Amino acid sequence: MKRSHRAVHRALWPVLAVAVALGFALALDLRVPPDDPPATEAKTP
Amino acid sequence: MSVGFRAVQWNRDKLVYDGLLLAAVALYITVFLVVVPRLEPPKDVLGEIDLRIRAFGSATFLMLTAILAVGPLTRLNRRYLPLLYNRRHFGVLIFFVAITHVWFMIDWYLMQDALPSLGTELTTWPDYGKFIGFPFKVLGLAALLVLFVMAATSHDFWLSFLTPAVWKALHMGLYVAYGLVVMHVSLGAMQFNRTPFLPLMLVGGFATVSVLHVLAARRERVIDQGTTVGTDGWLLVGTPQSIPDQGARIVAAPGGERIAVFRDGTRIGALTNLCAHQNGPIGEGRIIDGCVTCPWHGFQYRLEDGRAPAPFTEKLGTYRVRLRAGAVEVDPRPLPPGTPAAIDCKA
Repeated sequence: MKRSHRAVHRALWPVLAVAVALGFALALDLRVPPDDPPATEAKTP
Repeated sequence: MSVGFRAVQWNRDKLVYDGLLLAAVALYITVFLVVVPRLEPPKDVLGEIDLRIRAFGSATFLMLTAILAVGPLTRLNRRYLPLLYNRRHFGVLIFFVAITHVWFMIDWYLMQDALPSLGTELTTWPDYGKFIGFPFKVLGLAALLVLFVMAATSHDFWLSFLTPAVWKALHMGLYVAYGLVVMHVSLGAMQFNRTPFLPLMLVGGFATVSVLHVLAARRERVIDQGTTVGTDGWLLVGTPQSIPDQGARIVAAPGGERIAVFRDGTRIGALTNLCAHQNGPIGEGRIIDGCVTCPWHGFQYRLEDGRAPAPFTEKLGTYRVRLRAGAVEVDPRPLPPGTPAAIDCKA
């Protein structure tokens, strides 16, 4: 890889990684509790 | 290397690579479709289709994780280089596994004559303002689009047409596709499926890829920090013996491109570290049959002048080298590609 590609790679990775990790953590935290019947289960595979 | 156009250049190594890859995917899908129904028996035909959706979906995620791990793994240990050799076929296979996942999803709607409700799901605009409840299938379709673009441009024709630099930049889209897939599963299947398997799979895959990239980046950063620069701007490489025989040391001026300084016995030559094929790290290769050989796909160049042996026409930029006070030095200003610049360090 060229130096410029490595620079983009190094800049892109942490931003994406933090965004995805935050998104995942939030999605896990906001999951509907297991006792509640999931409202959307019936309409989507 | 090729001197003419061929749709796909097969050889034994590629056939073995693809055969193992297909066998691994077939084994995973088969085991999934045999084992999971025993744990959660499907209630009806829709349940069976759902099982296939999950089998191909999880296979896509695991394959993406594996292909993104290949790059840093090869940087950390040369033993993994064979994994990189036919990585493009791996990428194309991921696209086909992903599109099979989508096909079963469409089939799930078709079985109920409910395809329009898929359209409704994707066009319920207020849902795009939600986090939980976001139309997660859009994220999967966006990832599929990225995979399609990459699969469609994976051929050497596109590599040559777009130039290696642009092609490489385009194919970095795989990171975006991976992020989209993680969020597609997080906001989709993980919301409806309460087993710990999905969060564990996502965390395990994502952490593996992240840790490998961080480790490889730390190792690479040392090279990019640059090497000692003399008063006349030449870079100090070290004694001739410090360069592995039939191998190279990679140096760079601070802020400059990398240079691969090779030694073949008493001959020393410096080439750009970028292979003409895919900008692969040629300095991590070896001298085989008298030619500098790229570790990624075996493209070869003469040490003397950076030219590929006839009938091939690729050529690399070379750099002037000199021996001063027993140490090899290299001029970081590149010479035109194919310029003879190697020296003999016998004296």
